[in-house]
Amino acid sequence: MRKATNIEQLLQWRRQRAESEAPPAPSGVHLLKLAQPWWELWPDRFAASVRRLTAIQLSFGYAMAHPPHGHSGHPVAALISRDNDGDQEAPARILYMSVRDGRLRLRFQLAPVPRNDSTFEVTFVSENGLRPILLASADRSGDDEYRVDVELPTELAAAWESLKVTDPMPFRFILRPGFETN
Amino acid sequence: MSFVWFWTFWHWSTEGFRSGALLRSPLQGIASYWDEWYRHDSSESDRSEIDVTGSSVFEQRRFVCWLARQWAKEARWRDEMLPARYVLAQLSRVAPFDKWTAFDKYRTTYASPGIAAIVLDEESAGEPGDVRRVEAVALPLDEDAAAASIVSDGFHTDGGELNTARRAAMSLLDGKGLIVFLGLWLVTGARPYPRYLRILLLAGWLAVVGLIVRLLIGPDPGTRLVTFAAILFTLWFVLVMTGVGVASALAFSALRTGRALRTRTEQRQLHLRMTDGLSVHGGSAGLAFCLNSLLATYRSHPLVASRSWLWATFFRRLRGASRTWAATGIVDADGSVEHVVLEPKIRACLRNPGITHVLTPWQAEAKQSAIEKIATTARRVGPALPNPGMVLGFASTKPKLRSHRCRHAAQSVMAVGEFTSKSQLVANMLGLAVTVVMVLALPDLRNVLRPPDAPRVVAPGSPSPYFLWVSLDTDRPDAFKAQLESEFWSNRSADVVSYGGADGSVRAEMRLTRNGRPGTIDDQNGTVWIERRRKFLGREFRPGERIASYPLSHLNGLKHD
Repeated sequence: MRKATNIEQLLQWRRQRAESEAPPAPSGVHLLKLAQPWWELWPDRFAASVRRLTAIQLSFGYAMAHPPHGHSGHPVAALISRDNDGDQEAPARILYMSVRDGRLRLRFQLAPVPRNDSTFEVTFVSENGLRPILLASADRSGDDEYRVDVELPTELAAAWESLKVTDPMPFRFILRPGFETN
Repeated sequence: MSFVWFWTFWHWSTEGFRSGALLRSPLQGIASYWDEWYRHDSSESDRSEIDVTGSSVFEQRRFVCWLARQWAKEARWRDEMLPARYVLAQLSRVAPFDKWTAFDKYRTTYASPGIAAIVLDEESAGEPGDVRRVEAVALPLDEDAAAASIVSDGFHTDGGELNTARRAAMSLLDGKGLIVFLGLWLVTGARPYPRYLRILLLAGWLAVVGLIVRLLIGPDPGTRLVTFAAILFTLWFVLVMTGVGVASALAFSALRTGRALRTRTEQRQLHLRMTDGLSVHGGSAGLAFCLNSLLATYRSHPLVASRSWLWATFFRRLRGASRTWAATGIVDADGSVEHVVLEPKIRACLRNPGITHVLTPWQAEAKQSAIEKIATTARRVGPALPNPGMVLGFASTKPKLRSHRCRHAAQSVMAVGEFTSKSQLVANMLGLAVTVVMVLALPDLRNVLRPPDAPRVVAPGSPSPYFLWVSLDTDRPDAFKAQLESEFWSNRSADVVSYGGADGSVRAEMRLTRNGRPGTIDDQNGTVWIERRRKFLGREFRPGERIASYPLSHLNGLKHD
């Protein structure tokens, strides 16, 4: 019995000590700020990236000597936005696209292939309004592909459900390396 | 049915492609699509079956065998069998196969070895590891129209360099490169004769030489000249026809097969693989890429190449050479090989125990003597053993490194195919020299073997009383001689020659001089005989049969105009 009392006291003592040493709980404002997407935190930076993204004009030109074989998709304008190195244009090719049960599954390839980035935070910017419409994480898969699996807002799911990989995509990408989003 | 889950994936993949969810062909994107299917679209039962298969090495191997032997044949894409090794190599990098032991050997290789490329590490002075294995496979064209026709796997390089190597390979199959290759082969290339035939042909050429020498410097054969000429002509003709016929048939079949292979190359996407994730700068691996592109095309269509002895032999030896040959050199689209930095690359080959032959551009540093000089240095700077002590000693020595210098990729085809034959070169030179002699001798042989009809004597006669013109109605003047026999005039003999100009005719001209002791005072006395002339090249034999005779008076009576 004495032993039990002692252990209980010990735990209580330890708890009090931990509480006294713990950092103060974050304020509600801070938590809200953490939950904010990056374009709301740094609107100037987002605006600059969008300006750069808008300037990218992409389409395939076929200077081929033989008749074209098969089909081709449409490149998606993408901008790799790095904190230190500035922005880098890297057109993306959509290799796989499936919208089912409200989820988007997407695979894309960047050219040139980034050597060290295993993860990107992908901001989908609408092609028409140049507004951010979706934030997702892209993980590297294989040597040179990135994979996105994200739940879509209902209106996007409905709009994108019929999209084929060969169709022009209604979005552009801003890629931020090394971020993990859930 | 075995491994239903893999069929389920394959149908998901092909249907996904048809419905527009996938951009690349199911074959080219198989790893990526498997990853997608396995993560999101496989059912619980599929996953549990996959887990069961992966639970033992035996089951894993059974799956690998099934995939290579059964699935690859049955699945087919665009009506073609699927390259099992490529599929296995692609799958080996994605879950759950990346953990399966049975896939270990496919992780770094397509099991399609090719000629090694010598790509130096930064600041390397030539280390064994700089000789890099290159593998190549040819897949059906990707349905993605924007996909490159030649792709690097496991390394990065300028797409233009790869494309140039591919174009050089296509030029070797059907283009300038093939013409150069056939030219080289015609002059110095071995022919597929059996040994007895080779000896027989050589004996034949020597017999022709012997007959020519016999006719040129031997005793006058007299009536046997026709026999000799017939044997000589027939033998030479048979030898030339054999040589030309065999060479033409082989060259023609090589042209046709090369064209067929080129068409197939154009319809395929080449994948070149080098491990280590190198970023290759410069184009010195171009020659290796070019040869490996050829090898990949052959591997995808082995039966096409078997129609041509030249291509079948080359590809068989190229396949065998892949473990011991390395290549360096920049190729252009026509196949010309340009200079590169060579010394460290030679040193890398010398230090690599697996390499016994190296293809290089035509540079002085690649001469055999230069290589031996570098070999001495390479041994001297070789790494010392960190802990010298008792070690196993092997009495065998590394085979000598042999260089093959090339100005054109076609020379590398000659070298790898081991087509160059000194004996054939000698035989060709001999045959060519004999043929030149025979062509010069053909009119003489013709006159012996198919003599022309006896000609008539025609005008014009000689305008001068001191000359006798015997004009003949023939277009083969060198087949005849004219012989004057007279008791008043000195006997004369003259060749029949074609004269041009105002008095042009085919005639024999003789200057008439009185006999010192004339047997008659009749200056019209005499007979002119027309004889067949027998000669071989510069040598005159005794005249042949007399085929006509004319009185001198008749010839003198012929008007000049």
